[in-house]
Amino acid sequence: MFLKLEFKENQATSGELSTTTRVLLAIAIVALGTSLIYAILSAGKAPPDLAAQVAEKLDLSGVGNPVTAVLLNFRSYDTLLEVAVLLVVAVAIMPPRLSSSAGKRFLFVNDTHNPHVPDPILLNLLKWLVPLAILLGGYLLWTGAYSPGGAFQAAAVIAGAGVALSLGGRHKFAWEISGVRLASSLGLLVFVTVAATNAFITGTTLQYPIDHASTLILLVETFTTVSIATILLLLFAQLKSLADPPGEMHQ
Amino acid sequence: MIPLGSVNIVLPLLVGIPLLAAIATTVVDSRRWRAGISVTFASLQLLLIVLWLVTLQHTGADAAYRYVLGGWNSPLGINLVADGLAKVLLLITAVLVLVLSIYSAIYFTDPAKTTRFWPLWWLLVTGLNAAFIGADAFNIYVALEMIGLAAVALVGLAGTRTALTAALRYALVGLLGSLCYLLGVSLLYRTYGTLDLAQLATETQADPMTAASLCLISIGLLLKTALLPLHFWLPPAHASAPAPVSAALSALVVKVSFYLLMRFWLDVLTPATTELAMNLLGILGAGAIFWGCIAAFRAQRLKLVVAYSTVAQLGYMFLLFPLVAASHSPSSITGAAAAAVVYFIVAHALAKAAMFLAAGNIQMFNNHDTVDKLQGLARTQPLAVLTFAIAGVSLIGLPPSGGFIAKWLLLNVAIGNGVWWWAIVVLGGGLLAAAYIGRVLHVAFSHPVAQTIDTDNANAARHPPGGMVLCALALAACSILLGFNAEWILNLLDASVEPPIPGVGGMQ
Repeated sequence: MFLKLEFKENQATSGELSTTTRVLLAIAIVALGTSLIYAILSAGKAPPDLAAQVAEKLDLSGVGNPVTAVLLNFRSYDTLLEVAVLLVVAVAIMPPRLSSSAGKRFLFVNDTHNPHVPDPILLNLLKWLVPLAILLGGYLLWTGAYSPGGAFQAAAVIAGAGVALSLGGRHKFAWEISGVRLASSLGLLVFVTVAATNAFITGTTLQYPIDHASTLILLVETFTTVSIATILLLLFAQLKSLADPPGEMHQ
Repeated sequence: MIPLGSVNIVLPLLVGIPLLAAIATTVVDSRRWRAGISVTFASLQLLLIVLWLVTLQHTGADAAYRYVLGGWNSPLGINLVADGLAKVLLLITAVLVLVLSIYSAIYFTDPAKTTRFWPLWWLLVTGLNAAFIGADAFNIYVALEMIGLAAVALVGLAGTRTALTAALRYALVGLLGSLCYLLGVSLLYRTYGTLDLAQLATETQADPMTAASLCLISIGLLLKTALLPLHFWLPPAHASAPAPVSAALSALVVKVSFYLLMRFWLDVLTPATTELAMNLLGILGAGAIFWGCIAAFRAQRLKLVVAYSTVAQLGYMFLLFPLVAASHSPSSITGAAAAAVVYFIVAHALAKAAMFLAAGNIQMFNNHDTVDKLQGLARTQPLAVLTFAIAGVSLIGLPPSGGFIAKWLLLNVAIGNGVWWWAIVVLGGGLLAAAYIGRVLHVAFSHPVAQTIDTDNANAARHPPGGMVLCALALAACSILLGFNAEWILNLLDASVEPPIPGVGGMQ
């Protein structure tokens, strides 16, 4: 819905701030900045942070990477809500209807009507790059359990493959809207289901049974990757549809 | 291990139910199904909370129970906690969510809008519940983000140029507020090594670092609460949103950041607060009351009148801080001043939601809401005008409304502690509120002028469906009934406050 916003000078609200307001704002900002600097300079030694506690409990978390342990186990509730925040974004930017005339494919269709002749070198590069990027995404997802990586990184790389494909000129987005809706909420759905199942097994919401913790975390991360990649691609597709001539994306 | 059947499973369910509703309304592909799912989930949520509160009252269980998510105790994990304050706010949220869901099911007919509205609506509710029961400073930040983004998208749903401009400004202000809050929280973590509010409360000292983080957290939350002079974004955003969204924004969303301010000032970072700062918040609140009332009196559009009225009513809540400073009460978050303000929050939530829904109905009937062109409205839309008037009675603070009890409690605290000048502010604000409500009613009851009957918009206008009129009227009726059940809300708060008037509070 925000895509229709025109960034033109708005007569009703373009009124410049008065000089008094500006001076007052400047004084407030300088005062705040100075007191912040003073506070930080006068601060004592920092207490031990939670890194030691995380290291101590790492064996019980089901993963070997402390970042993943915090995100998906110790503070998994935060991550659950973050995935929901991403769904807010997806719903806010989702066009009411998003489907192509050319059949019902999930992601891309061949764009034969593109007047621009695609660069053959770019197309050949994409043939290698796109599968490689998807493979890399899968690797990042898997490796997140014991070294840096995880759902967010994997999704960013996979979405990047989609962006590259769409910029190549041979393919355009062709999404069926119910598929997009399902894909963007799938991560949240699996996360909530796992949280609820845990409550039945261990008695506490979000508490993984220790033996199955790593499997369940991987399950949650996999579906979250699907959702995040979809939402990132959706964002790109919607912004691209602004730049493209009308009628290219929407019917 | 906590048994699953225990009553405390309610806390995670309060986040789980709206999340499931959000997912369900995202995936299903029919307008009727979306509305049906939403009303069902809203009823379920309300039922759950009522049963929970009744059970707690009967068993006399622990007032502030902590739910340890994932089995990880804080500071490593995140806890959920619901004290009396949170319980009252959860209950009023559930009541309003049910009524507003029924209203929205009738209000939104365009399938393109319902595909967006319902998921965003439920994600907003998720954020509200999560913020009320969060016991972790960073987790509350995530909840605030969710509320902020969902609220912005809901304002933009109106689709008009004014609405999109207001939404964009709302988004930027919200973002600035969130970042200030986050910076404050990170300073707290650097200083105390924990994010858990209860642990912070036991360790807080009055050093510059704590004062700086309290300052940043307060600026962030004041921006989101729209206290004068940071209120500039509120009137356009609340006035241009669709009617049920306006109602939720004014009744619930601004209250969340105020609730968090209460927590941080009166509970968590109390040693870092000063009497001077508390009085300053009160003075800004008094300024908001007067400026909001004057702006409401001068506003041209009905929804803008109601939105400026929110600015004024938010001012009363900030009288909490000087009253607490004057009472020197050790447990200020459960003291008499806090009880009065929570009562005020509930009374305002009901009255303001009713008023925005009535304004939405009037706008639908006339296809405009210019106050000066509403002559004869009392004859054509008597129920909408009645709703507006009843809600107005509560906002002014006339007996026997909930607003009256709330102001009575505030006056009691002010006079009891010898700070009579705040009592004058409360009474003066009531008179000013009577002026802007009276202006609208005066126009509505005056005889229609010939020119207003056939305006250009007459064709697009339609009668609001009966369900929408009833929803608004029901909320207005609740705001009056609240005045007869003061004791019940105060019991829920675990507050040690006498019911204001024997006979009124004791009617059961």
